[in-house]
Amino acid sequence: MLLAISLVGCGDRRAGSRSMDALRGALPETVGGWSKDGPAQLYDQDSIYSYIDGHAEVYLAYGMRRCLAQRYGGTAEGPGIVVDIFELATPADAYGVFTHDQEGEPTAIGNDALLRHGWLSLWKGPYFVSVYAEGEADGARAALLELGTVVAAAIPEAGERPGLLADLPSGGLVPRSVRYLHDQQTLNTELFLSEDNVLLLSPETTAVVARYKRENGSGYLLLVDYPDVQRRQRAEEEFAGRMLGGRSDGPVDLGDGGWYAVAGSGGRLAVVLDADSSELAASLLEEASPGGDHDET
Amino acid sequence: MMKPERGVSRRDLIRGGAGVAMARVLGLSTGVGEAADGPRSRVVLVRDLDALDDTGVADPGVVHDMLNRAVAALFDEEKAAAAWRRIVGPGDVVGVKSNHWRRLRTPEALEEAIRAEVTAAGVRDADVSVDDRGVRSNPVFARATALINVRPMRTHDWSGLGTCLKNMIMFTPRPPEYHGDTCASLGAIWKLPQVAGKVRLNILVMLTPQFHGVGPHSFSPDFVWPYRGLVVGVDPVAVDATGARIIQARRDLHFGGPSPIRPDPHHILYADTRYGIGVSDPARIEVVRVGASEGSLI
Repeated sequence: MLLAISLVGCGDRRAGSRSMDALRGALPETVGGWSKDGPAQLYDQDSIYSYIDGHAEVYLAYGMRRCLAQRYGGTAEGPGIVVDIFELATPADAYGVFTHDQEGEPTAIGNDALLRHGWLSLWKGPYFVSVYAEGEADGARAALLELGTVVAAAIPEAGERPGLLADLPSGGLVPRSVRYLHDQQTLNTELFLSEDNVLLLSPETTAVVARYKRENGSGYLLLVDYPDVQRRQRAEEEFAGRMLGGRSDGPVDLGDGGWYAVAGSGGRLAVVLDADSSELAASLLEEASPGGDHDET
Repeated sequence: MMKPERGVSRRDLIRGGAGVAMARVLGLSTGVGEAADGPRSRVVLVRDLDALDDTGVADPGVVHDMLNRAVAALFDEEKAAAAWRRIVGPGDVVGVKSNHWRRLRTPEALEEAIRAEVTAAGVRDADVSVDDRGVRSNPVFARATALINVRPMRTHDWSGLGTCLKNMIMFTPRPPEYHGDTCASLGAIWKLPQVAGKVRLNILVMLTPQFHGVGPHSFSPDFVWPYRGLVVGVDPVAVDATGARIIQARRDLHFGGPSPIRPDPHHILYADTRYGIGVSDPARIEVVRVGASEGSLI
């Protein structure tokens, strides 16, 4: 059994290496006025810190396996362009990394892509791709788009968005406010909840958080899927006990107009955070329950 | 990331009080009376509108003068030389812990200014070294009796801000061990024997600080601005808290409304409340202003 598992693990690693080799091979020698500046570098879960320091935690939180980095040099004094291809644990995780920063102009590359001044981000399959210009330069925008397009074309499978997205109510959902995550620290970077892991989030849990704006106010809805009913129940009790004074029978006012609510069913927990009104909290919770108003995001 | 909104008073209750304190660190109003009791600290904010040339590069002469004016004001000395002699002297071995992050490093002109003043105060040239990632294998640092801590202020994807407190992380063999809870335990590094009691001066470089990050390299020249300042102090917590207020103010101005630093740079607060390293509450930090006041933001 151990030998079989070991062989399967080796198979996954070999497949991953082949994919990275293919992506490395797909990178053009030149693009616009830029040319490859040395060979591409490959980083793993340990060596990634030497490349992007503490920023690595963002990618490691989504099960980052490898990062392929290629720098392109421009003119002697001009800024370069850096392509970083992160291989995450799953396509859903690649989507999760993508949702970490959703500013910019949508662009039709990969599954989703955003272009801002000097930076293109996209995801496809289990890969999150960043193409970053180190400074202002004529032709940089076109070069970013060309590199992103080439890399996306070299990723064979599109992959799927997290299934949880379909369970988010559609009414009042603020565009590009959705984030997919696994852990408390990532949630805290978006919406600070607590210094402690009051929802018992872990690499085995999957969650989406989104912001809503309706006539009766604004607030956040968090949906979490736990591996089993027991863990969901423990999390529900923990959250209600630590945050809501033990109450889980409806929206609770935490003061200064902030309404919170929690409800669980099966392995799913729905949590409303920072709602402006009890009506909003109640309606979001009801709509998030099975059979409520959902939409693909 | 989502455009953040202010909601500090709700989170105060969630955090059990830490939210109130962190909001105060960043200069956000909570309606709660400021605490004026307890230890106090002093920092100097020095600014000079001639600190940068037209290309944004630090002017060596101006920056050296800024440093000396700040140090003199910090120690209430008329002459900078006298102030430096209170920081280091003959017999000291001085490690200057700088920051060489390639996208926004400590200006070499400032490093040279520090070295010049340290040797002028009587430290032998062979007993001074400037380093960043090599401090653990640097022989001068290994026998250092004094450290001078200098680094540019910038936002950081995981700790919220890259601060003087965080700058000491290279003294640890495994920095990722301090990444938990978005770097809450950075203050613990200041208790390590290679750091504890040795830092004589902290210089938070705010010549061109970064107030927002994008992408895996967390840098965009669009979010760097010419503040032309240095925040200088003996207390790293007070220095960082003051710098954090400036960054927060710049973000609110740029984004047209409340735009909290994310993640929360709570390592500054905890360096005060959990590790007792310094003062984070602006109500107990005296900010001595030297030089230009235009655009100071705080």
